[in-house]
Amino acid sequence: MISNNAVISLSEMIVAYDALPVLDGLTLGVPAGSITALLGGNGAGKSTTLATLLGFVQARSGTVSVCGIDPAIDPDAARRKIAYLPENVALYDHLTAQENAEYLLALSDQKPDADAISRAFASAGLQEGAWRHRLGAFSKGMRQKVAIAVALLREVPVLLLDEPTSGLDPAATADFNALLSQVRDRGTAVLMVTHDLLSAADVADRIVFLESGQVTDDVAADGPDRFDVRALHARFQSARGPVAA
Amino acid sequence: MGEMNLLKHELRLLFRQRLTSLSLMLLALLTVTSILAGIAEVDRQRADIAAIPAAQNEDISAIASWIDEDKDPGSAAYYSFHPTWDEPSPLAFAAIGMRDVSPYILRVRALSLEAQIYDGDTFNPELALPGQFDFAFVLVFLAPLFVIVLFHDLVSGEREARRARTLEALPRGGRALWRRRSALRFGLLWLVLAAPFTTTAIIENVGAAPIALILVTIAAYLFFWVGLAALIDRLRWSSVANAATLSAAWLVLVLIVPTLANVAINRAIPVNQGTEIAMANQEVVHGAWEIPREDTMERFYANHPRWSDSEPLGPDFHYKWYFAFHQNGDEAVAPQARAYRQGLEGRDAHARALGWVLPSVGVQALLTRIAGTDLTAQLAYQDRIRAFHERLRNFYYEYLFYDRPFGKDDFDRAPRFGSS
Repeated sequence: MISNNAVISLSEMIVAYDALPVLDGLTLGVPAGSITALLGGNGAGKSTTLATLLGFVQARSGTVSVCGIDPAIDPDAARRKIAYLPENVALYDHLTAQENAEYLLALSDQKPDADAISRAFASAGLQEGAWRHRLGAFSKGMRQKVAIAVALLREVPVLLLDEPTSGLDPAATADFNALLSQVRDRGTAVLMVTHDLLSAADVADRIVFLESGQVTDDVAADGPDRFDVRALHARFQSARGPVAA
Repeated sequence: MGEMNLLKHELRLLFRQRLTSLSLMLLALLTVTSILAGIAEVDRQRADIAAIPAAQNEDISAIASWIDEDKDPGSAAYYSFHPTWDEPSPLAFAAIGMRDVSPYILRVRALSLEAQIYDGDTFNPELALPGQFDFAFVLVFLAPLFVIVLFHDLVSGEREARRARTLEALPRGGRALWRRRSALRFGLLWLVLAAPFTTTAIIENVGAAPIALILVTIAAYLFFWVGLAALIDRLRWSSVANAATLSAAWLVLVLIVPTLANVAINRAIPVNQGTEIAMANQEVVHGAWEIPREDTMERFYANHPRWSDSEPLGPDFHYKWYFAFHQNGDEAVAPQARAYRQGLEGRDAHARALGWVLPSVGVQALLTRIAGTDLTAQLAYQDRIRAFHERLRNFYYEYLFYDRPFGKDDFDRAPRFGSS
């Protein structure tokens, strides 16, 4: 089911690479001001879902919409509504953090002043001493913070994240999750794909299990403990079937 | 505003990449150096040409006084050299072409001309092999290598650095970004080649039309290589594979195919060496000593009845006989000289035709044509020499065939090259 206020919506999506279906009738909606985690193993169709929303791949059938725009028809318009953080945040090592931000924002048709960039870096938790340093010596966490600062500055209604906490240390993950909650509270629709159940449970309002391009389970956070991780894990395992020895 | 802002960012990104900055600086250095080398060569040739009148006066002065003693026109014609020259065009600095292997100054006597012209063909061919280091060389041979350096990883480099997806997900990323970056790199390469050339061309008083034509040629040639790089990039190979493929294409298109084509053209259109004409000419000339003088004069008068009312030869040596068999020598090898010229023109025509499918050959041919340093210009200079030599012969023949005394003042009446 897709709620009426869904900013991101996919309905009966079928995407195939050659004869192999990757999304097989996927239906998913992400409302504004929420974080949805799309969970699944390798080949479940998580990254293809993001690629479809970004207009990189064409669906064989079904409908897709980002803020009412079909990315397959007008990818540039859809991308104006989306901030995307890939799994490996690769920026330009020979530019400083500030220059990277300025460049990526220019490619988004934005020209924020230096103060706005500084505020975004501060919000993303990037230490002030690093702002004007080239990225060559930055850790993955620091690069991630630069990228999230860019996403914050874009002030778009949709944030797509691909394995955002993969490779981050626990402290950096906690910082990132806190930041993500702020983004959500600003009304952004966040869709993160991950294979890490614990990471999803930490921050998501809703976890959607994906297997072979189909939704196998859809669990919303409930109460102060949000998710029963053990129960989720059991459901996840049963949905994926027995693991071969 | 947005596009300018993006270009500013792209420029910063480009110049922060050490390889790109160094490549552009190196190309700028090579371009400037090649132009300076071209200017130095042209200046040297101009200085040589400018020194001709003084040297000529000195030469004539050295023989004029003793010529004046016995007033023998034969001695005057035999011992006096008369300079001809081929002034470099204002654009010659950019494409030296044949000017570094063919003579641009030739001092001729009223004797047999063919040997004098084709003696110039005995240059060391190895010197001609690498060609002159001039602007045309930098553009045709080296500029494609810089296109390869700047374009081989335009997209693949971003893919390998795993930035491609991030960039493509941005509204002004994707194809627009690759087009923008391509245009920027293309523009910078063009500028680095065009700016020094245009500045020098203006200083050298080259007309606007040739400058514009060469600027368009630079752009078209770069565009060919950029297009080739874009085509190979579509195969989505690695940057290393792209670079290797483009380098191989450079080797084939700039070096191997033109060389093989040259060999094929030379085999298809066999042409005798100019020195063979010179030798054949000399053989006829020297053979004249072995045949009756009357036969020589008869043949000469048959071809040049204008002088046939000259007094018959006496028993003593007379220069008119000597000059007559020299001219007979020229006429004896005239068919060979015509065939030689036609052969050269045929080869040149084939090479030009090849230029339509092989940009490196086409650009080189076009540059030397515009600069007036190609075979056509060289043959035109030969035509001017021949026309002048005819005037020179006729001048001396007036004295020789009518036994008019030749004093030192008569040298002042001798035809001058370049004046009608």
